[in-house]
Parts: sequence; C-alpha cells; structure tokens
Amino acid sequence: MKRKSIWLNAFIGVMLLTTVAFGFDFTRLEKSISEHTLDNGLKIIVMERHDAPVASFVTFVNVGGVDDPKEYSGMAHMFEHMAFKGTTTLGTTDLDAELKAMAVEDSIWALLRVERKKGLLADSVKLAELEKAFDEAIEAANQYVVDNAFDHILEREGGVGINAGTGKDQTSYIISLPSNKLELWMAMESERFINPVLRQMYRERDVIGEERRQTLENNPIMRTIDAMASTAYSAHPYGIPIVGHMSDIMNYNRKTAAEFYAKYYIPSNMILSIVGDVKPKQVFKLAEKYWGKIPSGPRPEPIATIEPPQKGEKTVSLSDPAQPFFAVAYHVPQATHPDWPVIEAIADYLGSGRTSLLYKNLVKEKKIAANVGVFAGWPGSKYPCLAIAYAMPATGHTNEECQEQIFAEIERLKEELIPEEEVDKIKARAKAGFVNGLRSNLGMAGQLAYYENAWGSWREMFRELDRINSVTPEDIQRVAKTYFTEENRTVARLNTIEG
Amino acid sequence: MKTTKLMSTIVLGAFLLTLMVAGAWAQDIDKLKFPRLNKLEIPKVDKVTLDNGMKLYFLEDKSLPLFNVRVRMNVGGYLDPFDKVGLASICGTTMRTGGTKKWTGDEIDELLEGIGGSVEIGIDNISGSAGINVLSDYTDLALEILSEVLRHPVFDQDKIDLAKMQERSAISRRNDDPGGIALREWRKLVYGSDSPYARHTEYASIEAITRDDLVGFHKRYVAPENIQMAIIGDFDRKAVTELINKYFADWQRSGVPVPPLPEVNYEWRSKVYYIEKPEAAQSYIRIGHLGGLVTDPDYTAKIVMNSILGGGFGSRLTDAVRTKMGLAYSVGGRYISNMAYPGYFFAVGSTGPENTVKAAREMIKQIRSMQTDLPTEEEMQKGKDGYLNSFVFNFDTRAEVVNRMMTYDFYGLPEDFLQKEKEGVEQVTPEAVLEAARRNLHPDSMIVLVVGNGEAFDEPLEALGLGPVDTIDITIPPAEEESEVVISPESLERGKGLLDQAVTSAGGLENLKKVVSIKRVGTMTIVMGPQEMPVSVTSIEVLPDKRRQEMNVMGRNILSIRNGDVGWNTNPMTGELTEFTTEDIAKDNKEIARNLINILANADNPYYQAVYDGVGELGDKAVEWLAIVGDDGETICHLALDASDHSLVGRKYWGETMSGEGILEEQMVEFSIFSGVRLPIKTVVTMGGQKITQLDIKECTINGDIPADTFDKPTQ
Repeated sequence: MKRKSIWLNAFIGVMLLTTVAFGFDFTRLEKSISEHTLDNGLKIIVMERHDAPVASFVTFVNVGGVDDPKEYSGMAHMFEHMAFKGTTTLGTTDLDAELKAMAVEDSIWALLRVERKKGLLADSVKLAELEKAFDEAIEAANQYVVDNAFDHILEREGGVGINAGTGKDQTSYIISLPSNKLELWMAMESERFINPVLRQMYRERDVIGEERRQTLENNPIMRTIDAMASTAYSAHPYGIPIVGHMSDIMNYNRKTAAEFYAKYYIPSNMILSIVGDVKPKQVFKLAEKYWGKIPSGPRPEPIATIEPPQKGEKTVSLSDPAQPFFAVAYHVPQATHPDWPVIEAIADYLGSGRTSLLYKNLVKEKKIAANVGVFAGWPGSKYPCLAIAYAMPATGHTNEECQEQIFAEIERLKEELIPEEEVDKIKARAKAGFVNGLRSNLGMAGQLAYYENAWGSWREMFRELDRINSVTPEDIQRVAKTYFTEENRTVARLNTIEG
Repeated sequence: MKTTKLMSTIVLGAFLLTLMVAGAWAQDIDKLKFPRLNKLEIPKVDKVTLDNGMKLYFLEDKSLPLFNVRVRMNVGGYLDPFDKVGLASICGTTMRTGGTKKWTGDEIDELLEGIGGSVEIGIDNISGSAGINVLSDYTDLALEILSEVLRHPVFDQDKIDLAKMQERSAISRRNDDPGGIALREWRKLVYGSDSPYARHTEYASIEAITRDDLVGFHKRYVAPENIQMAIIGDFDRKAVTELINKYFADWQRSGVPVPPLPEVNYEWRSKVYYIEKPEAAQSYIRIGHLGGLVTDPDYTAKIVMNSILGGGFGSRLTDAVRTKMGLAYSVGGRYISNMAYPGYFFAVGSTGPENTVKAAREMIKQIRSMQTDLPTEEEMQKGKDGYLNSFVFNFDTRAEVVNRMMTYDFYGLPEDFLQKEKEGVEQVTPEAVLEAARRNLHPDSMIVLVVGNGEAFDEPLEALGLGPVDTIDITIPPAEEESEVVISPESLERGKGLLDQAVTSAGGLENLKKVVSIKRVGTMTIVMGPQEMPVSVTSIEVLPDKRRQEMNVMGRNILSIRNGDVGWNTNPMTGELTEFTTEDIAKDNKEIARNLINILANADNPYYQAVYDGVGELGDKAVEWLAIVGDDGETICHLALDASDHSLVGRKYWGETMSGEGILEEQMVEFSIFSGVRLPIKTVVTMGGQKITQLDIKECTINGDIPADTFDKPTQ
C-alpha cells in the first residue's frame, strides 16, 4: 500500500513533465480558422477541416430566455420553433390566401384572449363561440400549409441533426450537411430569417405546452432545479424557466413574436459558424450574396436588471412520489469574470468524476448517495449565475445526510488550502477536456460562436486553458470563501411522499 | 353564422407586413446547382488476430493528440442466472472499480483522473464494451490499465457493495420517469417479462449476487477469444503493437463456449395495457408489435418506410400528431431491424392526459395509412434521397467506421453490408414501401401501452376498440424478501463443513447433546424509535418444546408458556391469559426450530440440511451465510459464521416485530461458556438496519433443577 502511493506520486511528477512537453501544435488549429464581417455587421467564422466531405453549420443568435417580454416567458424558445415553419416561398400553397387566413386567426385570438382574461366573469356562450371560431380559423389557415417544408428540403439533400436550441443566453440553429450543399444552406438559412412566416403558431403553442410537460412537469428532478432557480433569483430573469410558464405560452401571439424577431434577429446580433470541408473564400462570397442585403440595426443592449446580493439562506421543498433529490445553488459571477476559471476549478474538484471530494465522501465512503455532481453556469453564464451541487440519496438515506456532507466538504475548501498537485490534476483534466472538445465539427462550430459572442473574439476559446492554468490553491480558497457561503446559498429538496 | 360576423371585424394585421421584406429575395431553392461532392476517403482499417483469438482493428488518425480504444466483448446480461439478474452488468462495473492485481480501484481513478483520461467497462443485455480515451502521451499507461481491468480484476467487496447500492438506487427510482416506465414495460410485453431481452434487476436479484458469482462470470466469459479491440487515434503502429503484445498476448483463452442468444417467442395479439401514474403530467403511449432482422429480404424497403412513417419532421406521425394537431412534442416510430435478435415495431408519443385516446387513435390511423396510401413523391424524397444524400455521414468519424466493422465481423455480415444496404435503398419504389408495410405491419394485431393518469383521460382506453384493458402493476417488490437458497451438491458439501465448524466453536456435538434444560436471567432492551425500554426477563427451557418466559414490563408480569401441544400467553394490553391457537403453535414451532441449541445439537440429524449461501455482512462484520433448511424445503433460519475463523456470530430469519414482518438479523456480540457450551450472552436484533432489541444475559444455568409445575397452565 505504502509502496503504491509513493509510486503514484512519482508517476504524477512524470506526468506533469510530459504535460509540459505536450507536442501538439494548437496554433495550427487556430490558423485554420478565418473570420469575416459583412457590412451589415454579420460575423462569419470558418474552420477548415477536410477529413471528410461534410460540414457543420451553426447560426448563433445573441437572444435567449432573458430577453423574453413580460407576460411572454419562453418567447425566445417559441421563436426558435417558429423559425422552422418556412418562409414566404417555402411551406405554402397560396401565400396571399394563407396570410389572410392567418390574420383571421390573429383577430379571433385577440377577442378570445380578452374574453378568457375575464375569468369567472367571462360570457360562457361568447367564450364557446370564440373557441370554436378560433379552432376553425386555425384549420382554415392550415389548409394552405405544406407541413415542415423547410425541414423537408434540408433532409432530402442529406442534412442530418437538423435542430435548434434555446438557452437563457442564446439561440442556436444547427445542421450538418454534405459539404457540396454549402450554398443550399446559405440560401435556406438566410431565407428563413429574412422572409419568415409565423405559420401554425397557435398549434405550436400546444406543442410547446407538451414540451413543457414532458421536459419539466413530468420530471421531478428538473422541477426541483427549476424551483431552486426561481427561489434563488428575485429580480433577474434567470429565475424563469426557458420553456416559459404555461399561461404565458398560451398567451403567445404573432404580433409579439414578430416584434421580438424584429428586435433581436438582426445581423449585428448573429454569428454564422461553419466547420468542415469548406473554403473560407467561397463561404464569405456566398454569405455576402445571401445575407448581405439584410438591413443593419443596432445590437440590442444586454438587460439592465441585476440580481441584488442574497442576504441569507433560502430554501425550497417539493413533495412528490419520486425518490429524494438534494441540490444547493450559490450565486457566482458570469463566465467572463476573472473568478470564473476558479469557479470551474472548484466545480471540477468538488464534484466531477470518481476522485472528486463529493463522490469520494458521499458515494464511495459513506455510500449515502448513488450519485453526486457539481456544475457552474446554471441556467446561463452571460450574467451572474448559479453554481450547483447535487446528490441523489441512496435508498434508505436522506437529503439531510447528503446536505450535511456537501456543506462539510465546501467548508473544508475554505479552511484548508488544497494541495498543489490537486490543482495540477484539475488543469490536466481541463486540457484533456479541451482537446476532446475539438473532435466534432458541430461542437467546434458551437464553441467558436459562443466565444465570439461572449468574449468578442473566438480566439478566446484558445486562451481558456491559459486562464485555468493560472489558478492557484489560494485562489480556490479565496473564491470558496467569497461565494460558497451560507447566506449566498439556496437549498432545494425533493421530498418523497406516498403516491 | 357567428364566424361570419366575426370575419367582418377582422383587420389585417400590419405586423404581417413587417415580416414580408421584399419577396424578390426569396430564393428558388430548386434552381441551385451543387458542385460534386469531394471524394470520400474511406479510412483503411488494418485487422490482426492474436494467437489467443483476440481480434484487433487498427485505424490511425493524427488530427488530434488523442488515443482511443473501443472493445467489444461477447458477453451479456442474457447469461445471468434467472435469480441473479444484474450479474453481468455489476461484473462490468466492478471490473473497473473493484481494483486489479496491481492497483486498487481508487488508485486507478486517481491515475486516470490525474490525466483527464478514462477507461470504462460496461456490459449490457447482449454485449459488453470497454474503452480508453486519453491524450496520446498516455497510451502506455492506458493500455496497461485496460489490460489490468480486463484480465486481473480482484472484485473488492467494498466496490461490489457500492455497485449494488447504486443499482438499488436505480431500482428505487425506476418508476419516477413515465417514459422510462413505458419503455421498460414495453420490452416486457414484446419479449416476455422473463426474457433476457426485457427482464431487469430487482432488489432480491441484486442481493443474491456474490463476489464468487462475479469472479466466476469474469473467468468464464471475459477471455481473449471473446474480445474485439479497435485502436483508433494518434499512435505509432509499431510501438502500439508492441504494447498490445506486452499486455495482451499472454492472455490465455478461457475455452468456455459462450451460449448463444435465446429465441424470441412472441405471442401475436391485439391488446391494451394500462399503467397508472396519477401524478403524470403527460400520458406515454406505445403502440406496435414484434419487429425483424437486418437480414430480412425487404430490410431496405423498411428503411424508407421508417423515414416516411415516423422519422422526424415530414413523417406522417410527426406531421399529423405534432404539427397539425399540436398534441405532442415528441412523437415518432419505426420498425426496428436488429442484427442479433428480432427488434420491434413501435410508434411512441407523449401527450396531455386529456388527449390520450385522441392521440393514440391518430397514431393508429397513421400506422394504417402506411398500408393504404402509396408514398408521395415528397415522402420518397425524404425516405430515399435523405438516406442517400446523408450516406457520407456513415464515414465522417473514424470511430463509427471501425465500430461498424467490428459489429459486422461479429455477426458474420459481409464487410460491404452497408454498401449493399445503400444499393438496396436506391432500388426502393413507392410500391415496395407499400408492400413492405403490408407485409410487416399488423395494425389488427397490435399491443398498446399507456402510462398515465387514467382518471384524466379524454375517454376510457376501451374506446380504442381493441378489447378489454389489462392493468399492469409496477409496484417495486420490496427489498426485504428472503431470497431462495440454492441447493446444490457444492453448497451442501460446503454447508456441512461450515456447520461442523460452528458446532465445534460452540463446544462440540457431545457437549451440545448433553443440554437438556437452560435457565437464563437477564435484561431485554426494547427499542422504540428514540426510546429504549429495559425489561427484566427470565426464561426456562426444556428442549425441545417446553418453555416458560417471564417478563416484567412496567410493573406487569407478562408470561408465555409452551408445553408440547399447548401454550398460554399474557396479553400485554389487557393482562389476560389466552391459550395458544393452532396458528400460535405453528408460529412458535418455527421459533423452536431455529433455537440455536436445537440446531447445533442436531447437526447430525438428517432432518436438517445445512446449505452454504454465500458471503455477506452482519452489522459491520464480513460473514458467510449458512442456510438451515428443513425437510419440507423451507429455510428455517440462516446462521452467520465469521468470514475469517468460521465461529458462530449470528442468525437471521423471517420474523414478526411490532413494526411488521421482515428479516430479523441477530448479532451475537459476547459469549460465555456454560457446562462446556459456548452461548451468546449479549445479542442485538435489527431489522432493515434499525435496532429492535438487545438481550443481556446475567445468569445462565444448564441442566439445573426445574420445578415440576414450571410448564403447567398458570392460575390467573
């Protein structure tokens, strides 16, 4: 036993030397990346990679759940759905007739909405008539629709992974295509943001309602995390779920969606990121052709609301027939803050992998939890956000037992300076994680766009390791003492009740 | 009427115009001309087989400084004994976590996480996998760790306990997710609940798995002849070959043939099943039946059929249920063609409870449409062109190329199987899709499974018109059930040996047989929640079936007498004396049967069978369990023998307490010798880890004088 641990230390010494001597030339990668900005402010990033005749495409829009208008939580997400509904030329059999039918839908909805909001005082006969008329109007508009025509072309031409994602900070539209379909993508993607038609919107509200039920309401752990965020935030919209509240979802209308689109989907607020078997020159030329004519506009301002400092522990409990779940969240700064790499290092050291403090204590040794984890950047990271530690108690063990041990490990971070070699391991993991992150075209395209948006330059992606490498044991202690405090935390528990 | 009136109030929204920026920009997509696709360099895989049967596949990729290994193992959960489901899976987990000859599991964790690398093992139903992911600087170390965990795992008991704890947790959480319930129960409906393709772990099956089982499973099946290994990434071919020879070439074959996969016996039926989940915000619906194999003659037509029926946007299921009706966020389906055993055909969707039957009906309607409506041109474009144009993505990562090759090799499919598949799809016509749907889909003989809150459904499930509805109970069988004792020549031989050792440690058969009567005086501490209540106890026994026990509980004398065929008890509540019923006598007979001296003194009595029942824990002590089985095959109790010296340290048995029935565990903490017999003088009884009673014996007399009227019916 003794011999082995000495050997282990000797090995780590050798390992650090090899890490320093790491031979791969990352500047080669950096040099394979080009950028170009159109006159209207649209930024295009291209990374050449010719291993296979394919490419991945990301349209990154600097808009997310934080930008949702009041009474329309989830609107950013809604618009993401609507961006697949086609254009003035795609998805319709008769545009004029369709637009008229859509206008009927909108007008009836405007009346129905007013009547519904009267609540108990609503005229039930009128309400029923309006409901029926609304349904008929939806069906009437639907008859001109070619369902999912936008997807159809991309899929027919070999597109895979056609999807989009909305976060609290951003919206991304993604696809991979055979690389000879570059121009198809340029034409289709520009078209859907230049000439969108918000067709089938009122049915799509129902789809999103089902999405909310499926991903949030039917998932006890996600509900707990959601309750934790809404408890932790009293002012900032990070406390509102990305998918929105059910009543807000059912409140969406075309006018609000169109205004939202007009404000945020403008060239200066968007980034195109392409990685694969493409030539930058050709990409920039086509970008100019298809995207160049979009009028420019001022980049929307970040939101003004700042979450005030938390002045004492908050707790929230949910009751459900599901098994127990424990989580604790601490307010931490945004990802561009100088303390961020330290927070990432703490998350890694505390809760990532089998050698992390929490896994060793709660899972391996005490066996009071089946699983644990720590992550920073919930529910976004553009604004000051949350670092979360969680545990899934083992059968026969409780949230309280897990809470006690999680708090004890966090206290230890403040009391004891962590060994230098542990910090070296954190850095080694960051490096390996970085290299693994370079593997997929799509992952790379997403990261380049993210760094460009968050930091103002995609090159910052390659500086990430430098920032992590500057973290010291003293930094970890200081940051733990600053943010991981009792008054700054929100505790969430899912308590089991009889079903 | 009303609608018309409303129409007149309509004003065309000006906002629509803001969306209609100059229509002239609209691109005519169909006019675009695409350049030829750059040539696809299909990477060349270099195959080598070692003398011990291990197959290697080398594929270099210098684009990033990474080293990857993917291992496919011909093992699987289908090999688990019926009462030890989970064995293969836990074996895979603990091969990695339970340490090896060279390192403990924790040391391997430190080694790997110190370099941001991983070596993992997993065993699923029909195959096992292992893999390496490290920066290429650590190739040597990673291969050595992989060889250690594959070849020399030591299955540390603590890590077995950890894996079991995690599996128990998974069992306890398995009904928290309605979608998970639906998939799990669906597989059981298709393949049968005992089928290796559908069965799952239970608390009892996990509990039954011992370290010996894991060692045995590993020794039999994890052997070089059952292993294919792909080496991918930034490596030097010569150097990596040397390393692989160093770590794997001297690995000896196991020589044990791996049993083939079992057949599927599907019962064709039209039937609706319902699982109640009152708190579910959505209903999960699954509809379908048995599927097929990739070797089926119309396999390629079914690829196109799948895309048209349920492959995302543009498919009939998605367009109808999601896009047009707004009933679901997730809806889809396909006919699964497997390589190893028949897949299944399914449509799946989740919707609000108030739309359950409506959505299920629409899904069935769309399935039916595949047999009546010839695919349109657009649908064929989606199904065929989509497949063909995205074919290049079968080759965009090295890992998928080599994984596919390993799988084809294993199942004996030709190396150009995928190329043949592509040629097949190119030939598929709309008529062929219709024909495939008619031949393979059976809408009149489908299983429908719904998980949800039945009370809120729009209509009863009977309204689907598919006959009566069967309700499936998904209550998780409780942990505390006595597992079956496996009686085999080996377990009997080992059991007899252990019983003899227990007898010896208790003073020997000769001394034990001399015991006629025992009188014990002491204190019993009864634990009720946070309260502990000490009670003085006097008991007199004349073996085998006479006993008198007196307890003083809060000033009241509680008496229990057993005298052969009769007995009397004081009711602790009323203080009244009641005579034993037949039931009481039967219960008490069990108590007599598990009397320690009765058992030990009867070690040579053929009435008892002593059966070895594996290792385990009693309190914090490692023990070996010995089941004492009566001639009716019922387990009377278990004796616990210290794992190191095989002395008797406890008992466990199914019993009754104030808080209900369960397994009672009795730890014998202190012993003393009376007339040459070693008897426990301090015992602690627990149930489910909670202490229930503690007995401290102050006096003990063997074969002393017993007053003649001791066991007579007491006077009131």
